[in-house]
Amino acid sequence: MSTPKDLLTIESLSDADIRNILQGAAEMKQVFCSGKTHPALAGKSVLTLFYEPSTRTRSSFELAARRLQADVTTFSVATSSVVKGESVHDTIDTLMSMHMDYIIVRHKNSGIPAVIGRHAKASVINAGDGAHAHPSQAFLDAFTLQEKYGELTGKRVVIIGDILHSRVARSTSTILKRLGAEVAYMGPGPLVPLQKHTGIPRFTNWDSVFEWKPDVIYLLRVQNERMDTPFFPSADYHQAFGVTEERLKRIDALDLSIMHPGPVNRGVELCDNAMEYRNSLICNQVENGVAARMSILSYLTPRTQNND
Amino acid sequence: MTSTYIRNATWAPTGECFDIRLAPGHSQTVPELGNLTICDAEVMPAGQMNIPERARVIDATGKLILPALFDLHAKVEIEGRSKRESVTRTGQAAVQGGVWGMLVQPTSGFMFDNSSALDSFRDAVGQRSAAEMIPAGCISMGMKGEQQAPYNTLAARGITILSDAGERPGNLLMMHRAMKYVAELDMTLAIRGDVPSITANTCIQPGTTSYKLGLHGTPPCAEEIGIEIIVRLAQDAGCRLHVQSVSTAGGVEIIRRAKAAGARITAEVALHHLLFTHEDIGDYDTNYKTLPPLRDKADTEALLAGVKDGTIDCIVSDHTPCTPFAKKQDFPTAPQGMCLLDHFLPTLYTRLIKPGKLSWAELVRACCVNPCTLAVPDVMDPAEPEGMPLLLFDPEATITVCQDNLPCGTINTPLLGQTLYGSVTLPLQ
Repeated sequence: MSTPKDLLTIESLSDADIRNILQGAAEMKQVFCSGKTHPALAGKSVLTLFYEPSTRTRSSFELAARRLQADVTTFSVATSSVVKGESVHDTIDTLMSMHMDYIIVRHKNSGIPAVIGRHAKASVINAGDGAHAHPSQAFLDAFTLQEKYGELTGKRVVIIGDILHSRVARSTSTILKRLGAEVAYMGPGPLVPLQKHTGIPRFTNWDSVFEWKPDVIYLLRVQNERMDTPFFPSADYHQAFGVTEERLKRIDALDLSIMHPGPVNRGVELCDNAMEYRNSLICNQVENGVAARMSILSYLTPRTQNND
Repeated sequence: MTSTYIRNATWAPTGECFDIRLAPGHSQTVPELGNLTICDAEVMPAGQMNIPERARVIDATGKLILPALFDLHAKVEIEGRSKRESVTRTGQAAVQGGVWGMLVQPTSGFMFDNSSALDSFRDAVGQRSAAEMIPAGCISMGMKGEQQAPYNTLAARGITILSDAGERPGNLLMMHRAMKYVAELDMTLAIRGDVPSITANTCIQPGTTSYKLGLHGTPPCAEEIGIEIIVRLAQDAGCRLHVQSVSTAGGVEIIRRAKAAGARITAEVALHHLLFTHEDIGDYDTNYKTLPPLRDKADTEALLAGVKDGTIDCIVSDHTPCTPFAKKQDFPTAPQGMCLLDHFLPTLYTRLIKPGKLSWAELVRACCVNPCTLAVPDVMDPAEPEGMPLLLFDPEATITVCQDNLPCGTINTPLLGQTLYGSVTLPLQ
């Protein structure tokens, strides 16, 4: 049985897919860390199509593709026909004529990668669409936690911040729950959807977070660019919802891990010292991002001609 | 010339049988048909009509007759097609769906804010449309919500209902003044309840689906506050108000209360709000993207209860043709709108009547009597009635919805591939 063509969401994957990709990430990490390459994508073309600004995700994918010996093309939206009003369909038709095998797409609108996936024979990897999904982030998060804790069954992860606009929260909570972990959300009231809609416990203050006894504190960036009208009094954010020096001491005493998908707003989500905290997994996440993306790329099966 | 007779057809609301002689130009008020006035036909209880031996007789045993439907909310313009073709195709779709007439909402191509636009529309309709098409005048110039349209000019051209086609009512002061003005002209304002500052950039009911898909939710309270506002403004202005596209249980309740308090309001629900919920959107199916969005199951139930107890006066199609390309786009970008007009009556029958959720009498009231009373009162006026046509409905027939039986030519319907019960004969022949 062939593996999936696209990676659009965690929900669309079977348990075996998740297990295989995570296992692959461990193998790819050895390749990556030893400075070698792997021929999984030799002769294949990979395109990164980012309609939204990104540095780490894009370079992580491009590095991963190169380590798999693929040809990598960067489609620059800012200088392309897209700014002249070309529709996504027409852009994809153009790109498919260039015989791309993998398209890695990021867009501000939820659901765009699915539209492209239906339309293109290439494997489409969702590198983040609106507030919908960011499955490669979910894999690198799960992989990072597995490295730290082994089995995730019963581990408790609280995701803190702007849940409403966060594709990371949706995808990472989904994969962690599939792996047996427990997830809770915490943040300012207007930014945390109701538990009856998410099925995930909802907190709005740190006291309830500590009472819940989490193993991991996962902080999200406040996405000001997605907030047309303010959702909360921003001057209060760090004191009310951030990891302050005082909270860091408590986190340290309880030996909890800290994660963040980056980029970090220092002084907002995290105080300065939290960046150097002994149990911070933030740099591991970045490193594992390349390994997880190598594994994802080598796992999918494009339906393009030169793959037959 | 010998007439055509239809023998032994069942009057859907009561189950009584009638014989019919087709008689173009003849109208008749029939007590047994709920005192409705029927045009182009003579109707008598079965067995009482003297049918000549050599006459053409259609045996309608097992088939139903009912007045053809009137759709109070439809858009005719089809993007990429000429005005004439839009009118022709929509007319065909309407008649196939059992709809003999419709109130046409203004759109960018049919901007009914001046007399020449009305003339050019009526010219396009001319002999081309199989269905009657009554234009609704604009409330504001260009439907922009800034400056009142020329109501006297529109009234002089026979316009009785004004609508900005569900556009968000922007400037409430403009609206209030428009209401006071048209109250003197005895026109009806048709408006949707909304608070634009709350619903901007939203496209879905907030809930499990909006969370799963990462889409911004349109809170039901925005519609309900909006309805409360327009009801209060209309009451203050003494203007007749028709609340368009009610989609929430709270909205039904507000209208129920206002009617009980004597407000001069009527209300409509789109058929899709009775049939579907946000959960049907599944994985971004844009055919389920509507304005207002599809709500919860409890809302569909409250809306249906509202239709049954008369709080909601009309069931409308809210027919909104969209091109296949437009609906192939991502969910936030794709336009809102659904097309259920082509199979309107079979859909009502299959989804509501057949499962026992709605009676034929309630359907006739909500899809015929009430919308006609609002939009074409002459048809209903007992003093000088023009009458409404009858249609023949075969409840045993089935049809599978496909591109070939969507005369409108737009396929933005979630019913594609589904089998519906019933076929419509309109006009009778």
